[in-house]
Amino acid sequence: MSNEVQELVKRLRPNLSIGQYGRIYRDTTEFMKISYGDVIALEDQHYLVLRDEAERSFGIEDPKYWVKRCIHLESGERKILKLVFYEKFTLKLGDLDIPCYRSPRKEGRILDLVRGDSRFMQGVSKKDEKGNLVRIIDVVSGKRLDHHVFEMEMPHREYFFKEFPGILEKFIDSCRAIEFLHENREIHGDIRRDHLWREYKSGNYVWIDFDYAYEFEENPFGLDIFGLGSLLIYLAGKQIYTMANLSQILGDKDLEFEKQDFSLLYKNRIVNLRKLFPYIPEQMNVIFMHFSQGAEVFYETVSEFLADLEPCLEIIKNKEAS
Amino acid sequence: MKHEFKKILIAVDASENAKRAVSYVGEIVSDGRGFRITLLYVLRRVERDLFPDESTWMEKIEKEKKSATKMLERLKGLLVEKGLDAKDVTHELIEISDFSIAQAIMDFQEKGGYGTVVIGRRGMSKAEEFLFGSISNKIVHYAKNCAVWVIE
Repeated sequence: MSNEVQELVKRLRPNLSIGQYGRIYRDTTEFMKISYGDVIALEDQHYLVLRDEAERSFGIEDPKYWVKRCIHLESGERKILKLVFYEKFTLKLGDLDIPCYRSPRKEGRILDLVRGDSRFMQGVSKKDEKGNLVRIIDVVSGKRLDHHVFEMEMPHREYFFKEFPGILEKFIDSCRAIEFLHENREIHGDIRRDHLWREYKSGNYVWIDFDYAYEFEENPFGLDIFGLGSLLIYLAGKQIYTMANLSQILGDKDLEFEKQDFSLLYKNRIVNLRKLFPYIPEQMNVIFMHFSQGAEVFYETVSEFLADLEPCLEIIKNKEAS
Repeated sequence: MKHEFKKILIAVDASENAKRAVSYVGEIVSDGRGFRITLLYVLRRVERDLFPDESTWMEKIEKEKKSATKMLERLKGLLVEKGLDAKDVTHELIEISDFSIAQAIMDFQEKGGYGTVVIGRRGMSKAEEFLFGSISNKIVHYAKNCAVWVIE
């Protein structure tokens, strides 16, 4: 088996040197067994596995054994292969537990829908010899947008007027991308900060990971819209604010907060950012407050959200100029 | 189309709230005359994406249909027990693939000329309403040409 891989690598990528040659997998059902040095063969294409992808949260690496970082031997390009893993798990959003499902089928369908649209990660899906739908994803060369924003070293006011208008303009486009999904009866399903990336070269924002599906009562788009709102509040604030980290920006200043100043779901997060930064336009803060514990009316569509958000861009630009 | 207020549409599902709504209507109208009641169960096909294969998905749909039909029979029985004439109570099961159950209920109401729509409501937090939507709220907001009774 090792010889087979060695010969394949030698033939297709003669300059590639790896520490170990494994075996060729045409059936990816048992993805835990597939590791460094193995090759996944899909139709007539070959993908050399480098490692399992991992998610970092709270400084801990959580390996995703069904997601393989690979080299496509025919082209030499880096690819991510997402293998089939049917998982039902609980998404915890504040106090709510939401049963979620991982759906390769959904992700494959969305990849087809958004082909050529730079606002989304790109890829194709192919079946292995057992019919497992493997998604072959182009690597997004960039970094998480929230990290990019957080690492800008400048006071909030300067950030808000100099950097944020450009960020907001692109974020609005990212919202339109989600609107496009919804118009096509699809949802992203997991809009959170680590799923919107900024490409190094183009500076474009790119949505990743569309394989979450979940059950809903009446509005299938609510979870996506809440995700967009939370992301907007993060971007406008340049970070998350809780009672615990407020002293960094308030210093000795004393401000009183009420229940309605906090997020509807993440009960410790302040969403009434205008209380912290009075130069944030009222019109924009009104949008934030639709995601607060005081909200009585909620956005039902991304179009409603955008109708409020788009005018804010001009308001901020004009405020900056004045 | 004329919407008759004595023509009552009760939208039901498998919940306790639906049972409460039916029971309430039974109490209110059992002594009256001329009421015609339709129990409507809108079954939204569970998303195919939640299932690994076609057969498990179809099994689930069939199971839901059977259970919905049984539920409708039981609820009809409840109204008859309350004193309504069995011939004045009908039931319908409709299957949709669209997202909105509320829209399906309102379409049915409009088409059938129902002047009263009844729906049960379960206590829902604001966060749940934002994330998942509420059928009863949508009906209250968008229903036309009818009275809406929301039973909590």
